[in-house]
Amino acid sequence: MAGYLLLGLIAVGMIFIKVQHDFTFSGGKNMWNGILFQYYSYFSSFKFIPLAGGLILGISQFFPETVEKRIKLTYHLPVNENKILLQMMGYGTLILAAAYIVLFVFFWAMSSSFFPKEIVFDALTSITPWFLSGFTTYYLIGLIVLEPIWRYRFFYLIVSAFFITIYLHSAVNGAYITMNFTLAISTVISSIALLFSGYRFRKGEQ
Amino acid sequence: MNKVIECKNLTHYYGKKLVYENLNIHLEEGRILGLLGKNGAGKSTTINIMNGFLQPRSGECLIYGENSQNLTPETKKRIGFLIEGHVQYAFMNIHQIEKFYSGFYENWQPEPYWDLMSKLKVTPKQKISTMSCGQRSQVALGLILAQDPDLLILDDFSMGLDPGYRRLFIDYLRAYAKEKNKTIFTTSHIIQDMERLIDDVLVMDYNRVLAQMPIADFMGNFKQFNFEVENENVELADADFIVNLERVTNQVELFTYDTEDTVKAYLKNKGIAHKNFKQIEMQLEDAFIGLTGKY
Repeated sequence: MAGYLLLGLIAVGMIFIKVQHDFTFSGGKNMWNGILFQYYSYFSSFKFIPLAGGLILGISQFFPETVEKRIKLTYHLPVNENKILLQMMGYGTLILAAAYIVLFVFFWAMSSSFFPKEIVFDALTSITPWFLSGFTTYYLIGLIVLEPIWRYRFFYLIVSAFFITIYLHSAVNGAYITMNFTLAISTVISSIALLFSGYRFRKGEQ
Repeated sequence: MNKVIECKNLTHYYGKKLVYENLNIHLEEGRILGLLGKNGAGKSTTINIMNGFLQPRSGECLIYGENSQNLTPETKKRIGFLIEGHVQYAFMNIHQIEKFYSGFYENWQPEPYWDLMSKLKVTPKQKISTMSCGQRSQVALGLILAQDPDLLILDDFSMGLDPGYRRLFIDYLRAYAKEKNKTIFTTSHIIQDMERLIDDVLVMDYNRVLAQMPIADFMGNFKQFNFEVENENVELADADFIVNLERVTNQVELFTYDTEDTVKAYLKNKGIAHKNFKQIEMQLEDAFIGLTGKY
């Protein structure tokens, strides 16, 4: 995840290099006009960066468990099977959260150096669902990868892809402000989805 | 003797394909049982049910009195499980993996693990993924021994091992089990390995159990008689005492639990002319093939 975090920081840095560029060449007046009246989003290229983090972490953590059915080792540890899956998920969540906090704070600090707090606040509420999409992607990767039957994996993949798009509909400043709480609840609910695939594996579905 | 494993009336299907029906298995404390069977006979199915990785269609497997589908962490601590192919957390090295597992077991005994590791020519930081199959088998075995379980379930422990490592594995395992009164349930593709290791044999064929008894009884009572029939076309009718009959032209191999006198009396009563009648001494592999057939 260190590599992902580094790339994420570079990406955020690139966003604000472009902001600096736009201020210099387009002029402050045009920038303000764009942001306030034309729904210009200076951070739209940040949209898929949290999602990429969830995807990378989910695959790198859960996929090796399915190679040679290594998850049997994990299930055989003297811990309740659901508890050990939740511990794995909790560990991944902490790592992902740590990376996201760094990106979030960096984005906040950089935004604050260019814009007033009202615009920064709107921007932060806009990127919050993108971070939630990263967590949700991570949890749903657990559901998909641990599922023992391939056709079910495809089914979960399609459903998950549609579900994730809910978090990514708009990049307009502040557009998600009324939805963030609901999306956060959805993310929390999705965090236990991998228990279903884990249960199906233990029952020997194939 | 306490029953460590008791599987009662296990029935399982994969889709509509019957694996077995009403299978009963038991294993007593301190014994080493070898489960033998052809590919697809249900060996891995049985191991998976015992470890709670497969729910049988009906019946149940009790391990230390607990249903294997819902083993408590306390009971799992008493079971050492070797996965087919010596699968381990291969991204770790031998120090990391020892540290990882030791945190889960209060009675962790590192000595047998490091004793085995000292025999391996691996560097301290070498990842398990870069080790040979034989080396990985020793890591897996060492971890199980350090866990100090009461019951060891070994799924095809000989897979991928060269003869030296197989012998090392078996000799180490048997000495350990007998010294510490451990119980072992194991399968292996290589049947001659089993002869050095097991106390009891369980032979499975498609859908059924062909034999379950102490290996000494099996090897003492199961016999092979070879003879040549003079008439190639003579019918050798089935009789209750004949377990299996293999025939190539006029050469006959007859397998039975009965005596030489019974076989001779049968041939005489049926008027089957024959010559070169002799009993063949069998190894476990010969007996297994004799019992299950070549096909």
